[in-house]
Amino acid sequence: MQRNIRFTLNGRPVETQVGNHQNLVEVLQGQGLFGARESCSQGLCGCCTVIINGAAVSGCLTLAPLIDGADVRTIEESQPDGKLDPVQQAFVETGAFQCGFCTPGFVLMTRQLLDAHPQPTDDEIRHYLAGNLCRCAAYPEIIKAVQLAAAKCKG
Amino acid sequence: MTPFELAEPRSLKDALALLNTEDPSVRAFGGCTALMLMMKTGVFQPTCLVSLRGVEPQHAEIQPDGGALRIGALATLTAIGGSAMVRKAAPVIVNAMQTLSNVRVRNVATLGGHLAHGDPHMDLPPVMIALDAELTAVSVNGERKLAVADLFTGYYETALAKNELISEVRIPSQAGRRSAYIKCTTRTADDWPALGVAVSFATDGKVIQDARVVVSAATEKAVRLRDAEAALNGATVSDAVLARAGEAAAAEAEVVGDARGSAAYKREMLRVYAARAVKQALAA
Amino acid sequence: MATTLGKTNSGAAFGRSIPRVEAQAKVTGKAEYVHNLRLPGMLYGKVHRSTVAHGRIRGIDVSAAKALPGVYAVYTAADIIKLIPEPYYGPAFHDQPILAVDKVHHVGEPVALVLAADPHVAEAAAQLIDVDYEELPAVFDEVEAMTSKAIVHEVLKPAGTFPDLKHLKGKRDTNIALDFHLRRGDAQKAFAEADHVFEHTFRTQQVLHVPLEPFVTVADPTPNQLVIHTASQSPSFVRIEIARLLGWAENKVRVKVPYLGGGFGAKLYIKTEALTAAAALLAGRPVKISLTMEEQFYQITKHAATLRIKSGVTNEGKVTARECEVWWNGGAYADIGPRVTQKSGFTAPGPYDIDHVSIDSYALYTNLPAAGALRGFGIPQLVWAYESHTDMIAKALKMDPLAIRRKNILREGRPQATGTLMRDAGIEKVLERLAQRMDWEKAFDKGGGAIRRGRGIAIGFKASISPTTSVAIVNVSADGSCMVYCSTVDMGQGSDTAMAQFAAEALGIPVESVTVVHPDTDVTPYDMATLGSRSTYHMGHAVKLAAEDARDKLMQLAKDVGLSAETTPIPDIFRKKYGMQAGNVVGVGSYIPSYTSPDAQGQTDNATPFWMIGATGAEVEVDTETGEFKITRLVNLVDVGRPVNPAIVETQISGATMMQLGFTLFERMDFDAGQCTNASLADYKIPGIRDVPLVMENEAVDMVQQSGPFGAKGVGESGTFGVSPAIASAIDDAVGVRLTSLPLTAEAVYRGLRAQAGKPLDE
Repeated sequence: MQRNIRFTLNGRPVETQVGNHQNLVEVLQGQGLFGARESCSQGLCGCCTVIINGAAVSGCLTLAPLIDGADVRTIEESQPDGKLDPVQQAFVETGAFQCGFCTPGFVLMTRQLLDAHPQPTDDEIRHYLAGNLCRCAAYPEIIKAVQLAAAKCKG
Repeated sequence: MTPFELAEPRSLKDALALLNTEDPSVRAFGGCTALMLMMKTGVFQPTCLVSLRGVEPQHAEIQPDGGALRIGALATLTAIGGSAMVRKAAPVIVNAMQTLSNVRVRNVATLGGHLAHGDPHMDLPPVMIALDAELTAVSVNGERKLAVADLFTGYYETALAKNELISEVRIPSQAGRRSAYIKCTTRTADDWPALGVAVSFATDGKVIQDARVVVSAATEKAVRLRDAEAALNGATVSDAVLARAGEAAAAEAEVVGDARGSAAYKREMLRVYAARAVKQALAA
Repeated sequence: MATTLGKTNSGAAFGRSIPRVEAQAKVTGKAEYVHNLRLPGMLYGKVHRSTVAHGRIRGIDVSAAKALPGVYAVYTAADIIKLIPEPYYGPAFHDQPILAVDKVHHVGEPVALVLAADPHVAEAAAQLIDVDYEELPAVFDEVEAMTSKAIVHEVLKPAGTFPDLKHLKGKRDTNIALDFHLRRGDAQKAFAEADHVFEHTFRTQQVLHVPLEPFVTVADPTPNQLVIHTASQSPSFVRIEIARLLGWAENKVRVKVPYLGGGFGAKLYIKTEALTAAAALLAGRPVKISLTMEEQFYQITKHAATLRIKSGVTNEGKVTARECEVWWNGGAYADIGPRVTQKSGFTAPGPYDIDHVSIDSYALYTNLPAAGALRGFGIPQLVWAYESHTDMIAKALKMDPLAIRRKNILREGRPQATGTLMRDAGIEKVLERLAQRMDWEKAFDKGGGAIRRGRGIAIGFKASISPTTSVAIVNVSADGSCMVYCSTVDMGQGSDTAMAQFAAEALGIPVESVTVVHPDTDVTPYDMATLGSRSTYHMGHAVKLAAEDARDKLMQLAKDVGLSAETTPIPDIFRKKYGMQAGNVVGVGSYIPSYTSPDAQGQTDNATPFWMIGATGAEVEVDTETGEFKITRLVNLVDVGRPVNPAIVETQISGATMMQLGFTLFERMDFDAGQCTNASLADYKIPGIRDVPLVMENEAVDMVQQSGPFGAKGVGESGTFGVSPAIASAIDDAVGVRLTSLPLTAEAVYRGLRAQAGKPLDE
C-alpha cells in the first residue's frame, strides 16, 4: 500500500514514500511544489497539468506510484538563466490571466502546443487548449499570448 | 481514495493471471483515467489494481497486416491520433481524435481501456463499429475474436468476461470505402456528446454499398442502425435518400433523454446528423 | 531609487495599462493561495453532508467513523455548541448553523466533521457517519415558496450587521426573508389609460460561481489569537463575525487572505471559516478544510428567479407605467439574498424613464443550496427580463429595438424609480456607441436556406451597495518606497495593481515603488468587502485619501527640516530628519459615501454613490434544422468612468461577458428532490476556450465619474448585464422564436421552431 519511488523532479533526483492511492499532485505538494493544483478532480480543468516524460498529464488522475522512474517537470522548473521563458513572458505581456489559479496549466500546455505546432492557427490553439478551463475567462488574452509566444520562439 | 495494492506485471500473461480471480474489486488499467474518476468519487474501491503499463511493449504497437491495421490495445490515443499509418488507413479515427476528451487524457488513455469501459459517450466505439473493427480478447483460458459491434451489451456493459482483457484491435482494409464521424454537443464545445453518428460505406462515387450507420451517446450503447443502412444500400445519394436514411435512423434508434437533451430532441438530431454524416463522408 | 515627490494627479500612474504587479508570481506558479498552506500538526477536515432536503435529525451515529484508524476527532453540532452556544451566522439573518442543529434545510448541508492528519482517512471516515432523518415536506420553487405549507425556518434572527439591512425582520411562518416594495406615481391608473398593456413572465435558472480554487480555510489556534487563513473576499467581516460567535474581542481573531483563485461573489461573508475555526479550537490543532469541486455546489449559488413585468405603452412606444414582481429563490439560507432583493430590486424597471412604477421583490427561502451574491448581484436576472420585455413590446408595435430604447432611456439628470437623479450614468452614450459599433442603421444579412441570421441589443444598469466603508493606510519608507495597507482582496480582478496605481498617482511617485500588503486584519484596516464592483470607487477613494495624507505629512516633514519636498529626493528628507535611513510617514484614509435610506415607498434622493452601465450586442446564426446557433459576434460596451488600467478593464469586460455567456447558454444546476444531480464539471459545463465567440469586442466608453477617485468607478460586473437578452433577441430576430427561460438551449430553439410550424415536438 506504501512504496518508495524515485523520479527526476525538474532535473533533480527525488526519492520519497507514497501511498498507492495518492496522486501526483499530492506527491508534488509533499515536495513543496504547489503550482499543480487539484481543482475539478476530473482531468477537465488542467489546473494540475504536469509534464511526465515529455507528455502533459493531469496530475490529479495520475497515481503516485506510476511516476517511479519518470522524468517529471512542473511549472516551478526554472529557466536556465532564471528568467521567464517566452511563453511566460507572453502571458505577462498580454495579461493572459486573472486569478492565476489555472495559469500554470495553460503555460505548460502552451509549451506543449508550440512543440507540436510551432506556428499554430487560431483553430489549433482552441483545440489544443480545450482541456484547460479558466473561470475568469481570460481566453481571448490566452489566444493572444500563444500567438505572441509563437512569434517570440520563432525569433 | 482508500488504500489498495498495486500490481505491476511485466507480461500480459502475468497480468491475466492476476485478473483471474473472483474478487470484483481487482481490476486492470492502462491509462487509469476513467478508473481514477470512479475511485475518486468512491464508486469503485479496489483491493488491488493491475497496471498494464509494464507489460511487453508490442501490445502498444500499431502495425500493418496486409491491407488491414492492427493496433495494440495499450496504444495511447495520442499515439493512434499521430500515427501516419492510421491516418492513411482510416483518417476518420484521426479526425475524431481532435475533439476526443483532451490532450492530457489522450496522452495516457489507451484504446483497450477506451473500448472496455463501455461508456456510450466515447468517440471511438461508433467509429470502430463503422469500420467493422474486430478485437482480440485474452484471458488465462486463451484468446477469442469479437467484432467491436458485439462488444457493447448495455450501458457501461460489455461482452468481456471479468478476467478478460482486450489485447488488440484489427481494422480491416478500408479500400474503396468512405467514412465520417460527427457528434453534437448541446452545452459547451468540450461537453460529452449528446449524439454521435459514425458512417462508413463502399461507393463507386455514386451508388452506396455495404453501409454501416452507428449511433452513440444518445443510446445506451453504440449500435448499428440496420434500417438506415438498408435505406442507403444500393441507392444513389440524393436528398430524398438521405432523408429516408435519417428517418429510418430516428425511427429505429432507442434514444434516451438526459440533461443534454430530451429523447424526442435527440431523435430529431439523429435524423439530421445521420444524413449530414453521409454527406460529410462523401465530401471527405 | 532616489525618488522625488512628483506631481500628483499627473496621469503618470493612473489610466495606464501597466502589467499586473503579481504577474511573475502567477506565471511561475508561485503566487500564494490558502490552497498552498500547510502548518505543522495540521489536521484535515472532511464534512459529512445531509442527504435529504428537509428533515429532522433523529440521531447521528459517528461510532464507525471514530473507530477508523487515523481519525483524530468527529464533531457534530453537540460539540460545536459547547464552544459556541449560539452557533448561527449570516450577513442578513443569523440563520445558518455551523453544523446542522436538530434539522437540515437542504441536501449537502454540513452535519458532521471528521478530522484526521491524512485527508484520505478523513474522507473515508466521513462516509461512515450514519444519520437518521425524519423527512419533512420540502419546497423548491420560489413562487410556490410564497404560499407553501413547508416552512424552511421556524424562527428568524435578523443579524443587524449592515446599516442597509437594519430593517430586516422576516415574516414569521412564511418563507419570505424580505419583501421590498417601491411605488412611484400611480401605475394602475396609467395602465388603464395606456394604448397598450404588455405583460410577460421570465425565468432564470440556478447556477453557481465555480471558482477554480474551491473554498478553503486554515484555522490556527495560537496561544494569543485564533489565526484564520482563508480564501475570502471579506476578511473584515470574517474577523467580526467569528469574534461575535466566540464572544471575543475583534483583535483576538486574525484573518489573513493571500491571492484568491477566483471569487465572483462566492467567497463572501462566512463560508468555511466558522466550521474550520470551531474545529481548530475544539481540537487545539491547526485545521484545514478544502472543499472539493463537488462540495462547491452545496455551498453558495446564484438566485434562480421568476420575474413578471407589465408595461403600459403609448402607440408611439413610450412606456408610461411598469409593474415588476420578482421572486428570488434564496435557497436554505438568506446569505446576502435580502440585499439582492432590495438593491437590485429597485432597478427592476430598467434604465428607462417611466413616471409610474410599482415594484414588489421577494427574497424566499426554499430547500435548495443557498443563493447569494454572484457577479451582477441580481442585475443580470433583471436585465434578462426587462430587456426581453422591451424587445417583445418593440416587436408587437413594429418598432426597431434601438428606436424604442432611444425613446425611453433614462437620460442624465432624470429621476430613476427611487427618485434618485441619474448622474454620470452613460446610458445614452453606451447605447449610441453600441449602435454605432453594431452598424445598427445599416442593412443586416438575415441569411437564407437552413441558416438564418439575427441580431439583438440589450442594456442594463446597476447601483452600488451603499453605504459602505473602506479604510486604507499608505506608508512611505525612508528610501521613498511605499506600501499600501488595505483589506481589498485581489481575486483576479487586479485590485493590487489598481491600488498601487491610485497610491502612486496621488503621492506623485512611480508605480513601481509601491507594493500592496495583502489583507491581514492585524495589519490592514477595515474594509466592508471586495464585492459589487465597489473597491475601485470606495477603496480607491480611501487609498487616494491616505496617499494625500502621507504626501501632506511628507511635505510638512520637509518643511520642518528646511527642505523643499518638490526638489529634494525623499530619502534625503528622511535622512535630514532622522540622521540616517530611518522613520516612516504614514497616511490614513477612510471613506464612506453619503446615503439616504429609502422611505416606505422605496423613494430616496440618494440611492447610490455611482451607477454602472453595461450593454451587449449579439449577432447569431441559427441552424433551423437543429435549433443549434452560433454567436458570430458579441460587442460589449460599458461605462466604468475613467479606466484605472485599460488593459485590465478590458479583461474584466470580456471575463464578465464570458461568465454570463455560460449562464445564458448552458450552465444550470439540475435537481432531483433537492439533490443536485450534476455537481461536477463533467456535468455542469462552464465555458471553455472553444466557446468564446469568434468575434468579441469590448469597449469602455469615454466617461468620467465626477465623484470617483480620479474619475473612476467599478467595472467587474458591467459586462454581464446585457448578454442574455441580447442573444435571445438575436435568436428571435433570426427565426422568430422568443425564449423566456434561461439557459437558451438549441433544443428550446428547435422546439420553438416546431411550435411555429404547427408541429410541436413531444416532451
